[in-house]
Amino acid sequence: MNGIFVIAKKEFMDNWRNKWIIATSAIFLILTLVTSYFSTGKWSDIGSTIAGMETFVILLIPIISLMLGYATIAGEAERGSLSLILSYPINRKEVIIGKFFGLCLVVATTIFLGFGIAGIVIAIKAGIDAAEYLSFLIASLLLSMSYISISILFSSLLKKRSTALGTAIFIWFLFSMIWGMILFGILVIKYGMDIIMQESWIAPDWYYIAAMINPNQSFEMFVAANVKPLQQLQRIYLPSYCGSFSPLVLILWIIIPLILAIFFFENRDL
Amino acid sequence: MIKSDLKNDLNTIKGYATMIKVKNLRKEYDGIVAVNNISFEVKKGEIFALLGPNGAGKTTTIKAILGLINYDGEIHIDEKDAKNKDVKKFIGYLPETVSFYDNLTALQTLQFFAELKGADKHKCMKLLGEFGLKDSANRKVGEFSKGMKQRLALAQCLLGNPKLLILDEPTSGLDALGAYEIRNKIKEMNEKGVTILLCSHILSEVQELADRVAIMNKGEIIAMDTVKNLGKMLDIQPKLKIEVEKITDSLIGKIKEIVKEVKVDGNLIEVSCSPDLKLQIINEIEKETKIIDFKTIEPTLEEIFIKMVRE
Repeated sequence: MNGIFVIAKKEFMDNWRNKWIIATSAIFLILTLVTSYFSTGKWSDIGSTIAGMETFVILLIPIISLMLGYATIAGEAERGSLSLILSYPINRKEVIIGKFFGLCLVVATTIFLGFGIAGIVIAIKAGIDAAEYLSFLIASLLLSMSYISISILFSSLLKKRSTALGTAIFIWFLFSMIWGMILFGILVIKYGMDIIMQESWIAPDWYYIAAMINPNQSFEMFVAANVKPLQQLQRIYLPSYCGSFSPLVLILWIIIPLILAIFFFENRDL
Repeated sequence: MIKSDLKNDLNTIKGYATMIKVKNLRKEYDGIVAVNNISFEVKKGEIFALLGPNGAGKTTTIKAILGLINYDGEIHIDEKDAKNKDVKKFIGYLPETVSFYDNLTALQTLQFFAELKGADKHKCMKLLGEFGLKDSANRKVGEFSKGMKQRLALAQCLLGNPKLLILDEPTSGLDALGAYEIRNKIKEMNEKGVTILLCSHILSEVQELADRVAIMNKGEIIAMDTVKNLGKMLDIQPKLKIEVEKITDSLIGKIKEIVKEVKVDGNLIEVSCSPDLKLQIINEIEKETKIIDFKTIEPTLEEIFIKMVRE
């Protein structure tokens, strides 16, 4: 237990010392305020603010989380510092869990600092539903934690930092662009563009389930199910099970890669 | 109670109890055998060296002892399974390539490792002082020279007063003075009762420090003993260097009657002979000329090593 705490503390302090936490929090704060005010020239309501924030959260949080985690095992193993750590009374499981919690604490701090301060400003200027805003912050944190878990998994599998970086970029492209494009392509081939563009058309269940597997889209579904003004604004049909299962999918994206990371790392030679 | 005390006392006597027991250790990397079924024991309080050319399997053996790689065979440290993380509480490890976190200061580095070991963080500054790094305690490790990093690495080894030090090429990349300081520190630690497993390819260093040596080649231990005994085993004779006042052909002829090979360099005669022939040679020389100086040189580890590896 002590080992997990020491590793987590080190990960957090590393990112605190190199000003990463402050810089990312500032980016989140500025982007949120800009989205809320400058998009319309006046302070927007919660629905419009979160609709605007969603776009950059889906692009930024996965890449930030992947960049935080991709080298955490592969990079340290390549440099040799991991061998030194593991010569101490700490086991590999504790290293993985410690790194995971440390990095999660880093992103939690940036999310709650950046979005939190912005939320307070918007609440003062335009009023805000605290519960809905909090659910957005929690969704962002779950999204971030799932990408940290994924990055720790491939970092435990790969031997070279450069390969891990390439994998991080591929995963970002996969979930940010390729996944959605493939699903949309299948819909077009199966039903035709004219049909699926009709406002009254509802996609089949398999589409929503396949979309939900993607953590980005799970995040969007979770936010849409919990922020009512967003549903009114976007007017997108979402089956009710999406709202219930999307947080579960995000939690699975956190747990499964982490368990696999522990398994692979325990069997890896350093 | 008395029996238990006696056992504890005996365990502290150098060379009595076993600190590391390696039995049938085998490791393959992608079908290539790195270590092939080796067994050895390191006794408490001794300096035991693993010696061998690059790729002999020394580092793989050390990594197996530390649990950094999967392996076949058994390794026990102080009678406990080496895979048990608790045994690492009393081990200090100096890796061949020292890699710290560049953004941490020397003090923060030691404090991080002290926390990992559950050692007293307040002793870190004292430890830095012992290695001449007190003034650099608050400097980032990224700004350190190779020698300073090596000293810091040795300092981290000593956190929590280890009973066993595993040192992989401890003087690698250091200048002569730095290497000398590290060697002295190793001797000092050993005098305090710390068992040392040393891995090096610097023969003079191993000869100076080690009580016993295991020579590794191609993943196997090809010889294991004290340097002196290894020399005897291979029939490598001590060298006798004698400086005389005058060398004559008859003198050389008389020495050649005793030993086959005689090297002459100016007024210096060099012969390899067993100790029992030494007196005979000296007597013959004294009959012909005056001896100015003479010394016996025991077989060097380099000679033993080269002979072993070639054979």
